[in-house]
Amino acid sequence: MWSIIREAFDKTLLVAKAYGILHITNSYLCTVALAYGPSMIPTINLTGDLILAERISPRLRKVGVGDIVIVRSPVVPSRVVTKRVVGMEGDRVTYLLDPHNSDEVRSTVVPRGHVWIQGDNIYNSKDSRDFGPVPYALVEAKLLWRVWPPKDFGPMQHIAR
Amino acid sequence: MKLLSYIKQWKSAARETIARASIAAQFLSLIHITDAYICSTTLVQGPSMLPTLNYSGDVVLIEHLSHRLGKLEPGDIVVVRSPVDPKKIVAKRIVGMEGDRVTYLTEPSYSESSRTVLVPKGHVWIQGDNVYASADSRYFGAVPYGLIQGRAFLRVWPIRDFGFLG
Repeated sequence: MWSIIREAFDKTLLVAKAYGILHITNSYLCTVALAYGPSMIPTINLTGDLILAERISPRLRKVGVGDIVIVRSPVVPSRVVTKRVVGMEGDRVTYLLDPHNSDEVRSTVVPRGHVWIQGDNIYNSKDSRDFGPVPYALVEAKLLWRVWPPKDFGPMQHIAR
Repeated sequence: MKLLSYIKQWKSAARETIARASIAAQFLSLIHITDAYICSTTLVQGPSMLPTLNYSGDVVLIEHLSHRLGKLEPGDIVVVRSPVDPKKIVAKRIVGMEGDRVTYLTEPSYSESSRTVLVPKGHVWIQGDNVYASADSRYFGAVPYGLIQGRAFLRVWPIRDFGFLG
């Protein structure tokens, strides 16, 4: 009976080790993210794309304007959002207040330690135009390479169209 | 022939190195997972949390469970990544959660004037206990909840101040 318990313990330890390696890779190196929703059309499909995201650039402060990033939502902390960086700290950002109805623009300077993120589909995106600039420390990962669907396999475009 | 025996020796040495390195890696990962997700220690220094924490530095234990479970409340001392300098981590007390109304003195050294704010959704209002010398939410506004790294619950050094923080 003890040999069964020992075997169970060894197998569990093995699973725990494998999970630990997977978790550390996911949290600090590279992870696969499912990005869905209308806010990044046409760059990311509505029904969802699987995209490789790396977590090293944000730590090394190598995130810049034009990058698509995964950011922890400042409004619902349990959620992450995928948007494009439009302005870094110190940049002046100009945006349409209500793209459906008017041409009125507003312009702000991104404060120190923050970034301004916007979805590519400005007509249907909740982003910095709604919740303001986001502290840089909330940027979690940078999208690198789309792996699914196969017809869109390839690197994520760096510059917004 | 000699080359083959060299390769054999190298192979067994490499195997043993990998085995030992993997044990070291597992140990380090265990330490890291405990440090990042369960409990860690930090040196906290500066005037902003006087008299609760000393100016010259206290070693405190930080637990990383409460903020993930959403169990933080006003009165908790939390460590938070600074919204104005992402490389810096600050220790302050939570004064208001999302939806709370917070009233604070705008210039505590000079006047009695105060301001009241409503803490927005997904944010917390943090203040240092020493309102006269603390850069906190009165200066940089409410902080998104996602910036909270953990809650300081026990001071371990200096020994005469050993005890739970509350």
